[in-house]
Amino acid sequence: MLFVFSIYGAFLGSQRAKEFFNSVPLAVYWMTFVLLLVVGIFIFKRLLRVPALLLIHAGCILVLVGSIWGSRAGHELRKKFFGIDKIPTGLTIIYEGNSDNRVILEDDRIRELPFYIGLKDFRIEHYKPEYLHVQTRQGDNWKFPVEIDTEYSLGSEYGTIKIIKVFENFKINLEGDNRVIVDDSGPGSNPALEVQIQSPDGRIKTRYVFERFPGHTHTDDELFLSYERIISEYISELQVIRDAGVVAEKDIQVNHPLHYGGYHFYQQDYDHQNARYTILMVTSDSGLALVYIGYIMLCVGVCWHFWINKLSGGEKQIFKTETKGE
Amino acid sequence: MEIKYTVQGLLIYITIAAYLLALLMSIFRLKKLGQLLYIFGFVAAVVSFGYRWYHVRHVPMQNLFEVFLCLGMIYPVSLFCRRVLRVGGQSADMLIGIVVLFPVGFIFNANPQKLPPALQSWLFVPHVAVYVLSYIFMAKAVFHAVLQLIGKTPGPQGNLLPPEEATYRMICVGFPLLTIGLVLGSVWGKLAWGDYWGWDPKELWSLASWLVYVGYLHFRYMYGKKHAQINSIWAITGLVVIVVTLLWVNLSRFFPGLHNYGAG
Repeated sequence: MLFVFSIYGAFLGSQRAKEFFNSVPLAVYWMTFVLLLVVGIFIFKRLLRVPALLLIHAGCILVLVGSIWGSRAGHELRKKFFGIDKIPTGLTIIYEGNSDNRVILEDDRIRELPFYIGLKDFRIEHYKPEYLHVQTRQGDNWKFPVEIDTEYSLGSEYGTIKIIKVFENFKINLEGDNRVIVDDSGPGSNPALEVQIQSPDGRIKTRYVFERFPGHTHTDDELFLSYERIISEYISELQVIRDAGVVAEKDIQVNHPLHYGGYHFYQQDYDHQNARYTILMVTSDSGLALVYIGYIMLCVGVCWHFWINKLSGGEKQIFKTETKGE
Repeated sequence: MEIKYTVQGLLIYITIAAYLLALLMSIFRLKKLGQLLYIFGFVAAVVSFGYRWYHVRHVPMQNLFEVFLCLGMIYPVSLFCRRVLRVGGQSADMLIGIVVLFPVGFIFNANPQKLPPALQSWLFVPHVAVYVLSYIFMAKAVFHAVLQLIGKTPGPQGNLLPPEEATYRMICVGFPLLTIGLVLGSVWGKLAWGDYWGWDPKELWSLASWLVYVGYLHFRYMYGKKHAQINSIWAITGLVVIVVTLLWVNLSRFFPGLHNYGAG
């Protein structure tokens, strides 16, 4: 049944599959499945006699029980019967220099954590080198690493190109009647390059190449320019604040969440325009220990049963007489 | 379909050619020459993998091109199966090598890619590596399942197992790897995306393939070799679901999900 459900779920897509597997009929199915596994262990005595098989099956039970315990329905049941009230999952938005304890739930309700999360700084790191792409109307193209004052040849037809300056936040300020180009240190982000193109006849043109507006050109330009940066990491410098004091700190990244007070905090999203706030996913850690213990038991069990027994000379048992049908 | 006029492409084509010649030599009973060519092909596959590693500056297991390139280094599995597990099928292994390297050489995009933040994890290599290894064992299981279905048995030389037992043995070796791959993926999902099970199409197909082998092992336990043909069909079904997991999810527009960066 689970095989059929899995394939059906794969056709639904993640979100609808999640709803399907968390629906009431499937909740009944999961409970029945766990019950059958427990009953099976006691009915099929071999599962109790062979430790590896017991580990495999008990591991599966723990994974399922842990998953049910940590599910949305599990959280609601624990609140109803044991008075344990935890937020199952949600999002929190925190601005740089601020702290917040509000969590937006999946149904758009807002709940509060028993502590505050502060954001000292949010930053995006990029792979080095960054690249300047140059393309002609005829389709010739070049890819140059961004290095200040290095002159790159574009062949005898187009001359040379040189990167003069790198901007993190390109802005044009008006000073009287003059337009002044600055790398603004204030809020905002508009990465750009200043480049100089020297044609074969010696004429020099200055152009600005924007990461967010690739191919931005003047009408008489022969070259299309773009600035490529590849994100290597998103980093939120977090503080956990309780009773007006900082009780924990961590720079979280993808794959490196913060764990505090029964919750995990994950880097989920950020302010794409100005990089002034971070969006964190908050998830309860309920049931997680059971799932992980189940995983360990399952892995140890299958390796023990299928590998260790055989390698330690139990080949006969594993491969010859293990089968009930022979 | 395109030819890759690069050093990487050349190494891949040398490997394919060596495996192809090794296979032909094996068919024409020139075993020793076939073996030498097979080893030469393996060395070329390792050099190709190493070259890619140097080129992209991370373990090349990010996308289909790199995973299939890794699958092409099949020789140690052949050797282990023959020497330790008494499971033959070396010619089939050469064929598997050719089949997996063909799309690497002619179909998949070889453009190097930087690792996105989600893939920068200590779990990246073990998760992919155990899956790759399990897929090779499951592919070998299918070869023996087909031999069982068409009634072929190995010759007396080499002390090799009959096809049904060889299939079972391959699955016994591959199943723990499949389980570890699934569990590592789940742990990684928790670290990267906040949930150890996201109901993503790739996750669900992986679960489906794991369940097919769970079914096979239970059926084999219940009935042994009594229904050998059903055992073989079960093993073949497992690989079909694995192929769907590996390819279709990445290539098809039907299953958008968290794993789509693997399409490469």
